Amino acid sequence: MNDDRVSFDNVSRFYGEVLGVNRITLSIPPGITSLVGPNGSGKTTLMNLLTGLVRPTRGQIQVLGVEPSEPRKLFRLVGYSTQFDSFPRGITGFQFIHSFLQLFGHSAAVCTKLATQAIEQVGLTEAAGRKIVGYSKGMRQRIKLAQAIAHDPKVLVLDEPLNGLDPLVRAETIALFKRFAAEGRHVIVSSHVLHEIDLISDRVILLSGGYVVAEGQIHGVRSEIQEHPMQVLIRCDRPGALAAKVFAQDHVVEAQRLADGTGLLVKTRDADKFYRMLNQIALGDIQIEGVAPADDDVNSVYGYLIGDEEAAK
Amino acid sequence: MNPKDWAQIFAVIRLEIWKTLFSRRSLWVYLLAFAPVLLYLGHSIYAPREQARLAGIAAAHPVSTEVLNSISNGMSNNVVIEKLGEPYHQHAWHHRIEGGRSNERVIYKYTDGKSDFTFFFFNGRLRHIERSKPETLPNNLLIFATIFRFYFLRLAVFFGCVGIFTNLFRGEMLDKSLHFYLLTPIRRELLMAGKYLAGLIAAMAIFATSTALQFAAMLWQFNGQTAGDYLAGSGWGHLISYLGVTMLACAGYGSVFLATGLLFRNPIVPAAVVLLWESANLFLPAVLQKLSLIYYLQALCPVAAAPDSSMPPLLVLLISAAPPVSPATALGSLIIFTLLVLVVSGFRARKLEINYSTD
Repeated sequence: MNDDRVSFDNVSRFYGEVLGVNRITLSIPPGITSLVGPNGSGKTTLMNLLTGLVRPTRGQIQVLGVEPSEPRKLFRLVGYSTQFDSFPRGITGFQFIHSFLQLFGHSAAVCTKLATQAIEQVGLTEAAGRKIVGYSKGMRQRIKLAQAIAHDPKVLVLDEPLNGLDPLVRAETIALFKRFAAEGRHVIVSSHVLHEIDLISDRVILLSGGYVVAEGQIHGVRSEIQEHPMQVLIRCDRPGALAAKVFAQDHVVEAQRLADGTGLLVKTRDADKFYRMLNQIALGDIQIEGVAPADDDVNSVYGYLIGDEEAAK
Repeated sequence: MNPKDWAQIFAVIRLEIWKTLFSRRSLWVYLLAFAPVLLYLGHSIYAPREQARLAGIAAAHPVSTEVLNSISNGMSNNVVIEKLGEPYHQHAWHHRIEGGRSNERVIYKYTDGKSDFTFFFFNGRLRHIERSKPETLPNNLLIFATIFRFYFLRLAVFFGCVGIFTNLFRGEMLDKSLHFYLLTPIRRELLMAGKYLAGLIAAMAIFATSTALQFAAMLWQFNGQTAGDYLAGSGWGHLISYLGVTMLACAGYGSVFLATGLLFRNPIVPAAVVLLWESANLFLPAVLQKLSLIYYLQALCPVAAAPDSSMPPLLVLLISAAPPVSPATALGSLIIFTLLVLVVSGFRARKLEINYSTD
């Protein structure tokens, strides 16, 4: 086992007869990793398994070389912001973080210092003295995030962390994730809002029905899907001429002129060959103004892999 | 166990104890615990006034205790009045029956200044005599012992522990906040130990305080000399024994209900089963009787609650003296039982999972 990775080795979890996740084998390096999938796809189960809140029916999990059944070691390494929107009764944001830190065995002074820092990092300093029951959804998300980062973990596990955040706080939170990742830590995020994943992820793990259907860097995953041709949008001065040229290639399956007449949408089974050909064309008499992949994002990949209906959930 | 383990256990105790002592859920535990204190206080206020009232009546209608004791069933109204004089209170009424006849019922009340004697006559003949018990310390100690066994141990401490200890885990599962504990670097067994100790401290504080206050309230009606003599004799020993039994009951029942909170989704059902077992075990053979906490707790009580003829049969059954067992055996059995249940709970806590949707 690699000590800088979060690894799942043939892990399954069943809730009675109901499948949570099945035969998951993953090796997650540092950086931002997103778990993507619709509700019920197994994202939360995977996170709960990783943090020992549920135990695998079979298989083995290691977090930087530590098993989740060893909470004493695990939670010095891991911070987890769960999906549960519930808190101990009657306490303020500061008391919540402070009491959480007390259980690490720190002195009161250290707890106060760490709690103050964590609350500051999530921008809740002014509201820290107020009772959590009066917090907005976004503030509750942020105080959970503060609880997850308060002890400075190496692995941050976040279940739908951007839910309920306004755009400004969302941007700040994403910046926080990126900062963590840049420091060589793991940030494992789940989301069913796919466009967010594109913005923040170094790699994605696509889940459906308790199975991993794809994993890796999003562009790499996309290129592995041979049965779905890649779509490339080309802006040029003579789309008709370009269409004639690209159709001569056997890997091009479709070329469609844009309605405004400014370019062409091409579907190809071999993106590499297509881009090489396009370089040659650009040297000729057709003026190419821009080239961009049209479906090289998580949303398209997810739709191709598990069907548009599932992706829409 | 190293210093860090203890630091974590103390942290859990600090967090839990305030929740247990000052949550709204605890209100009914306080009510259960302190209701007998109010009863004793009420009695201590009432009893001296009643004594003064009887003494006043006795001065106006003097009758000796010996003469009152000489009255027996079957005597006529006239004979009783001849021996005792006119009662200080009488009441008569007629009940019409078939054939235009009627039955006559008469009540005469006398007092010797300490007890109230009520004579019930039916058609001119004495049918029944009722005598109130004089307010003596031994009588009150017996009443205290009876209430302590019948109400305090079997109901107040029992249900108080249900409320306090089942909520330690189950309450947080229902609130969906238990996972915050499980996301900290604390071993689950230590978490369980911390929660148990917090519950135990809270339960002991509530119920031992109640026991002490009940004892004080019971003694309040007696003059300083009587109460002082009693305390100088066996009184302090009795109080310490009652406090010890209260604390042992909290420890034993607490461990049981901590375990039910960990093992069952609805701990009320197992609590009802335990209550039934604790109450019904008197009907069971001697060997099975020993499988209950109340058996050992009663054995440690300093005053045997003696049933008398005026008590309802169910109450008589419940306070029947337990078969003898030495205090050392009772104490050892309670401690061993509690530790065993805690060990089982520790194993369960280790395997605890967060799955709120099914809880």
